[in-house]
This record gives sequence, C-alpha cells and structure tokens, in this order.
Amino acid sequence: MVAALGTGGLLAVTCLSSLAVLFIFYFVARDALPFFRLRGFREFFTSTRWYPTAATPEFGAAAILAGTGIVTAGAIVMAVPLAVVAAVCLSDVLPFAARQVVKPVIEMLAAIPSVAYGFFALVVLAPLLQTHGGRILAVAQWLVGAPLAALFIVVLADGAARRVSDRHRAGARWLIAALSGGVALAALWCGGRALARLHIASGTNALNVALVLGIMVLPTVVSVAEDALQAVGRELREASYALGATRAETIVKAVLPAAAGGVLAAVILGVMRAVGETMVVWMASGNAAQIPRPWYNLLEPVRTLTATIAGDMGEADHVTGSIRYHVLFAMALCLLSFSFAGNLASGWLARRARRKLGG
Amino acid sequence: MRLGTRRLLDRVFTGSGVLATLLMGGALLLLLGPIFIRGWGAMCFVATVEHRRFLLEKFERGNRAAMEEELEAARRARAPVYRLLADFEQQLAEGDAAERARYAEPLRELKKALQALLGPAPGTARPALLRDQYGPTRWDRAQVKLARVLYREEWDYSDPGRSGIRRLKPRAADFAGTPLERLFPYLERNLRSMLLPRRTFYWRFLTDASFDAHCFGGIWPEMLGTFYLTLGAMLLAVPAGVLAAIYLTEYAREHWLLKLLHTCISTLAGVPSIVFGLFGLAFFINTLRVSPSKSVLAGAMTLALLVLPTVIRTAEEAIRAVPQTYKQAALSLGAGRWHAVRTIILPAALPGILTGIVISMGRAAGETAPIIFTAAVSVGKPLTIWQTLSQPTPALSWNIYNLATEHAAVEEVRHVQYGLVLVLVTMVLVLNLLAIVLRACLAQRTRA
Repeated sequence: MVAALGTGGLLAVTCLSSLAVLFIFYFVARDALPFFRLRGFREFFTSTRWYPTAATPEFGAAAILAGTGIVTAGAIVMAVPLAVVAAVCLSDVLPFAARQVVKPVIEMLAAIPSVAYGFFALVVLAPLLQTHGGRILAVAQWLVGAPLAALFIVVLADGAARRVSDRHRAGARWLIAALSGGVALAALWCGGRALARLHIASGTNALNVALVLGIMVLPTVVSVAEDALQAVGRELREASYALGATRAETIVKAVLPAAAGGVLAAVILGVMRAVGETMVVWMASGNAAQIPRPWYNLLEPVRTLTATIAGDMGEADHVTGSIRYHVLFAMALCLLSFSFAGNLASGWLARRARRKLGG
Repeated sequence: MRLGTRRLLDRVFTGSGVLATLLMGGALLLLLGPIFIRGWGAMCFVATVEHRRFLLEKFERGNRAAMEEELEAARRARAPVYRLLADFEQQLAEGDAAERARYAEPLRELKKALQALLGPAPGTARPALLRDQYGPTRWDRAQVKLARVLYREEWDYSDPGRSGIRRLKPRAADFAGTPLERLFPYLERNLRSMLLPRRTFYWRFLTDASFDAHCFGGIWPEMLGTFYLTLGAMLLAVPAGVLAAIYLTEYAREHWLLKLLHTCISTLAGVPSIVFGLFGLAFFINTLRVSPSKSVLAGAMTLALLVLPTVIRTAEEAIRAVPQTYKQAALSLGAGRWHAVRTIILPAALPGILTGIVISMGRAAGETAPIIFTAAVSVGKPLTIWQTLSQPTPALSWNIYNLATEHAAVEEVRHVQYGLVLVLVTMVLVLNLLAIVLRACLAQRTRA
C-alpha cells in the first residue's frame, strides 16, 4: 500500500516536471492566440513594418524573423566548419592526455553565461569592429583565404596534371599551380584592399553578433558531433586504413558519411542554441527592425525575435492583455515551435544514426 | 592523386584540426582576458582622496584625523584654481558687457568640467545627486575628467556622408590673454596633489551596498540576489529532478509513457531561455499569482524549470551508471526497492548527481533572460529571507546588462560592469571546475 503510494508520488513528480513543457506550450499559445485572432497571420509573417507604438500600430515581424535568420546563419557558417574539424580532431587526432585538456576548455566555453558573452560583444568587440573593422576583416580574409587557396591549387594542379602525358606532367603541374596561384593572389589582394577600406558605421551589428554567437554555438556542436564520430566505431576506420587510406581520407570518405546524421543533429542543436539566444543579440545587434540591404550585408544592425521579446516586454507588461503584449507571445510561440521541431528532428536523426550503426 | 599530395593533404588535415582546437582555446582566452584584467580593476585600483572621503562619510571607515589632514592638503592644492576663477569673474564683472557675453558660455562649460574633476566648488550649495557631491573616486577617471577640462570637444559634420568627426580644441585658447590661461597648466601639473591618488585594494566592493545607481560602493545587493535566486532554483529543482530520475530509472517500465516523458524532458531542455521568462510571467505571476509582481520566488521557480532537464538527465545517467550487482545484492538481502534506492543506489550515484547539480547551479546563476520579467530590478536593497517571497531583487547577470546598456553614465560605471562580469564568470567557472573535479573523483572510484 505504502509502496504503491510512493510509486504514485514518484510518478506524479516525474509527470509534473516533464509535462511542464506542455504547460509552457499551453500558456504561451493561450496568450499568443489573441494576437492572431485580432490581426491574422498575414501581416505578422509578411510585412516588414514593425511600429508597435505608432498611433495605428503595425506588427509586421518579417524583418525580425529575417534578423534572427541572418545572425543564426552567420553564426552557423562560421562555427560549423570549425566545430566539425575540432570534433574530428578530438575524436581521431589528439592523444588521450591532450583531450583531457581540451574537454574542460569546451565545457568552460559552454558554461560562461550569455550575458558575459553579450558584455564582451558590446564593450570589447563592438568598439574594435567600429574602429579597425575593415582591417580585421582583411586580415581574417587572408588568414582563411590563403591556406584554402593554396590547398585548392595543389589539388587542382594534381588533378589537371593527370591528363597530361607522363613526359610533361611535372612541368604542367608547376605551370597550373603558378597560374592559379597568381589568380588567387590577385583575388585575395583585391578582396583585402576592398575590405580594408570598408567603413563600418556601428560596431553593434549582425557581424558582431554572428561572431560571438558562433563562439557560443561551438561547444554544443563540437561535443555532439564528437559523440557522433565516436559512435562510428573502430571497425570502419580500421577497414579504411587497411585499404591504404590516409587518416584524412578515412575520416572524410568513411567516418564522416557514416556519422552524417549525428553531425547534422549537432548542427541542428547549434542552430537552436543560436536562435534561442537572447542576451548577446539584445546587447550587441543594434536592434534595428530592418532587413539589411543587400540581405547578406552583415555590417548592418538587425533585430531578432528574442531581443524583441526581451526589450519590448518591459514596456508592455503593464498593459497585460494589450495587443502589444500578445504579439510578443506570438513571437515566443514561433521560437517554441521552432525549437520543438528542431528537437524532434535532431532526436530522430540521432536515433536513426544509432540504429544504422548498431544494425 | 599523387602519394605526395595525399600525404600533404593528410598533414594539412591534422594541422587544421589542431588549429581548430587551438582557436577554441584562443577564443576562451580572448573572452576571459579582458574580463579578468579589467574586472580585477574594480577592486584593485588607484583611488583618489574622494574615494577615501566617501568611505569615511558613508561607512565610517578610515582614520578621521589622518583624513582631515589629507583633505586639508588637497584643499590647499585646489585653492589656486578657485582663486584664479574668482579673480577672473571679478575682472569680468568690472569689465564691459561685450566681454562678459563673450566669456559667459566658455566659463559656464569650464566650471562644469571643473566640478566633474574636483567635486563641487567650496562655498556652493550641496548638489542633490550623490555623484555630483564627490569628485572622481578613481584616478583613471580623473585623467579623463582632466582631459575634458583641458580640451573641448567639437564635432565636424562637414561631410554629410559620414558620421561626425570629433576634434579636440584646447580650452586654454578660449581664454587666451586672460588670467585664466594659467589655470590649465596648473591643473595639469598639480592634479596629483589635488586628488592624492593612492593604490588601494577595495575588497569590500563585493560586500558593500551600492550608492547612486552604482556610481559608488559595491555590488552586495546583486551578489545576494543571485545567491537567493540560485539557491531557490536549486531547492525547487533538485528534489523534483532527482525523484524524477529515480522514477525514470528504477520504477518506470518501457512503454509509451516513458517515451513521452523523455521527449518532454528533451523538449524542455531545448526551450529558449527567454520563453521561460515569458512563461514565468504568464503562469507564475499572472495566473498563479505567487507574488503581486516580480519576485525572487517567481524567478527561482522559472529558473528551477530551466535547470530541471539538466538535473534529471545527469541524475538519470549517474543512477544508470551504478552497477546492477549493487542493486541485486541489496534486493537479495531482503531490502525493499525504495530501501535499496535510498541506502545503496543513491549514495553510489551521489558524485554524478552532485556534478549535475553543480553545473545547473552555474547555469541558474548566469541566466538573465528568464529573470528579466520575473525577478530582476536594476536598483534595490539587499533583501531578507522573508522579502524574497514578494519582492524583486537586483542580480549579477541582470545588472551587467542593465549597467552596460541602460545606465545614465555608462562610462562612469564601466569598472562596476567589469567587476560584476568578473564575479559572475568566476563563480560559474569555479562551479564548473568543481564539477570536473567531482567527475574525476568518480572516474577514479569506478576504476578502483
């Protein structure tokens, strides 16, 4: 009797804590629906005119949705290649002792509060970008572009020289390398000059936020992707080595394809983290509800869903029930649905990957 | 491909992997470097006599007799400044009206800049705001104020395509040919004896109340607020989380309910933190009415919900890691299931559970978004335990945001912002180090 009661109590506590998420859905949806009932869906999702305090208020959130998309895309583009390479390095390259050092670094990056990242973005990075932004971008372009170009040239020369007869092969390789190297150098030079001359009006812009969000996303993506790579197992790797593949070839051609689902799940988790992040974007994105022109121009200020909720609720919460209050819940509902979908997708991918590798 | 190229590619691959990991370490250093260096400056800095005067007047700290002497010395050094000013004003009053009109505006600006550098002039009325009653308390700020006395800012908007360009004009040029011209070199030469800078270690920054929106004093209300919020969140989340983990691992059978519960928990873990804040506002405050408006209680409840998935997951993992033989041995000795859980499984899983708790503590302490609408205010007194049930509080995380963006004098309180970030980051990192150590202990025990 007592045991049954105890089990029942445990079940109740468990249900209460797990079903809290349903409560969250219910309460957010309950306060979001009045907005859609009053204004419909069309304005919210298609108009870019966000004037909630005007005499005839307008609630077009398209620019804000786009802002969220832009900073997230920027962060993901910067973070994912780095994170995947780092995850590969952690799982396949580094010896055990080095891994024991790197793991805490990743944990610390994940643990630092978002408001500290936001403070860094606002107080350290923004002035830096504003005064030396162009030069920093130019240097970054050289640092990223030059090694990539060199690598590409080597592969290109090697591939192209194979079509040439044996006698001229070495010469052809050097010729192609020199030619494409010259082109690449010229391109990098021009690009660097153009970037260095760039005038950045304000350091609080989408680029700043994307950079910092990229750092914040790293730990999530690295640790989940590393798990996925580890899950692939030794057999596949050893089979590949036995066929004479180098480590790079093994990883790129055998391990990564096998772990693709898990890596994709990691990227989705990273996207969710970037979309849901509040403090950094609120402090350092400039909070201008506009779509940058052209749309990929990261140097303009943007505004995101999370920052709008955080910034506007302070003014709106005194008038609970006003349309301004409900539109913020509509935004929260968007965020919630997105994170729910992302969660389902990443969970499904992870399960599928496990089944594939297990079976 | 040629073997050489393949080998080169392989090396590049390895190198880029190492580079990526190094970059992560570099990012961490880049982030922590300024925070630690400048955050330390909140406590260890060169303080002026104004800082010591403030401490004496507000907290009765320091030697009153020695202070009197110091103040007297500072007053003596400042006297020529005010004498020059008085002489010049006298001369203006006796001179013609055109002269008076010409110097009226520059003189007013100069006096304002001087007040910022040296505090209110002797003999003037006591200003209403505390920050106007004292000169700069920090030597680095005093240098900035000195520059503002010596130079006047001018903005050049001649190129409409660009933002304005700042130009500095020496004020001495405005007063060329007047006795006041001598004021500027005097200030530049004698600032030290006017403000008597001395290196101080102001550790009470951590435990002093703040005055005049953080222009003076320390960060005690924030420390206490974060402590209450974290403690409250843990008190709510840990029992619920650990009980749920026990149920999920030891009692529940594999069926649809278990799957649903797990899906719910992982969804809860993915909910953006700002949505937790909105939910806390809509549910705890507007529906349950746990408090009339924002309160520590509502904030702690929201934070508890936020860390719950972490607590459940880590506790679940820790319990699953306990060898089955332990449980079987206990059960075979005639212990009931609950008895076995309480006496065998929980103690064995404790380090793992503690790791999860410590990590979630760090998370709860650092989160800002969930407490914006449920618990945080920018200025407040330290609360007593009872007040936490009904009153909002300042908190480290919120006040970092608030001071960095919404403060009236952001530059003036920059050191407080860095100090707050330093304290928060140190706290979170120490908690995480503790988790790492705990995990190492756990690994050692399982190996033994």
